[in-house]
Amino acid sequence: MNTNAGNELNNEIKLLIMEALTINEVAPEEVGDDDSLFGQDNVLGLDSIDALEIVMALQEKYGVRIDDKNQSRFILRSISTIAEFIGKNRTR
Amino acid sequence: MKGRTFKHAMAAHCESGTLTALLNHAGLKISEPMVFGISGGIFFGYFESKKFPFPTFVVRSRPGQIRTALARRIGVKFAERRFRNPADGEKELDRLLSLQIPAACQTDFFYMNYLPGHVRVHINVHFVVVVEKRGEAYIISDCYSPELASLNRDSLMKARFAGGSFAPKGFLFYPVSVPEAIDFRKAVWKGIRSASFYMVKLPMPFLGVKGIRMFAQKVVDWPRLARDTEHLSHEIMKINIFLEDQGTGGAGFRFMYATFLREASELLNDRDLLEMSKRIMEIGDRWREISLFAARIGKRRDLGPDRLRELSGLIHERADAEEIFFKELLAMSKKKK
Repeated sequence: MNTNAGNELNNEIKLLIMEALTINEVAPEEVGDDDSLFGQDNVLGLDSIDALEIVMALQEKYGVRIDDKNQSRFILRSISTIAEFIGKNRTR
Repeated sequence: MKGRTFKHAMAAHCESGTLTALLNHAGLKISEPMVFGISGGIFFGYFESKKFPFPTFVVRSRPGQIRTALARRIGVKFAERRFRNPADGEKELDRLLSLQIPAACQTDFFYMNYLPGHVRVHINVHFVVVVEKRGEAYIISDCYSPELASLNRDSLMKARFAGGSFAPKGFLFYPVSVPEAIDFRKAVWKGIRSASFYMVKLPMPFLGVKGIRMFAQKVVDWPRLARDTEHLSHEIMKINIFLEDQGTGGAGFRFMYATFLREASELLNDRDLLEMSKRIMEIGDRWREISLFAARIGKRRDLGPDRLRELSGLIHERADAEEIFFKELLAMSKKKK
């Protein structure tokens, strides 16, 4: 994946997450590609229910399936880790 | 199996994951979904009893059954021991480790202090493999940990001899013999037949598909059983936890069962099983929607009668879909066994 395509995918994922979770108070550019999405210091304030919501939104948009909690813990660590997983596994 | 380097791997569920790791260590190549599927681990049960503070449900066979059913179907023999005296339990584990024999131990999950505190709760049916003893610490392969972990002696002893429901009593097991040739075709179909039978043929109204229907009917009455809205919201959100968070591999083990059917279709060169795999995957997707729906309404305290009826309707749909699915799978297993 070239850098431009990578950036584009990262931005697309940020928008998808914000839309799925109806987050209006944070701008996409405030979320760093490598920022931790979960945990106490994350800018989006996400929890485990949001994680499930993101998993389902990613499945619908990119046709990727994240089955279990162990897997999602690593994939949903940051925008970059999600983009890496999508890049390798997307079916749409 | 003795003396080999133990390969740690993460897994979706502790019991099937532990069995898979021990069997792989013993030289048998088998995946976690295959272990789960051959054992006929998929299930549903809805329970209301004075023994429980609130109604609850399960999505898999009871603890220990994955091991016993798998052993019966593929011919693996396990040595198993429980101990009245903790000192005897410790001595036996140390003896096995001194012989370089890793053993699975039943533990109270709360004492697995290499995992973050917020995920640890008191639950007496967590299985780990104890790989080695180093000084006063034990090296643990826990399928929820990304790498091998170290646990001190006191914590392991407390975990192995915790009291309460399903008390481990130091229970440990390890494989002692693995057959040279396994009839996987027979084992797969027996596992499928058993799981399908338990899902659609049991006469009890709270087990199998009937149990899913009972859950759908009863969930609208949960407000009557809850102390207050906080309590109700907590119980409704537990639906999500039971389906997604408690080592189920997602959607209450339905995704793991789908992977089993896909792997079985490849192993037996059977396209029908691949189709069934796709169908249970879709059924799992709808279970996941139930998880999310329950988590959302619980979080928002949006728990009025209309919302609970909506939840009930979604669960009824799963009962209908699983009834058709498992009836077809049962018929298939009778024809192809």
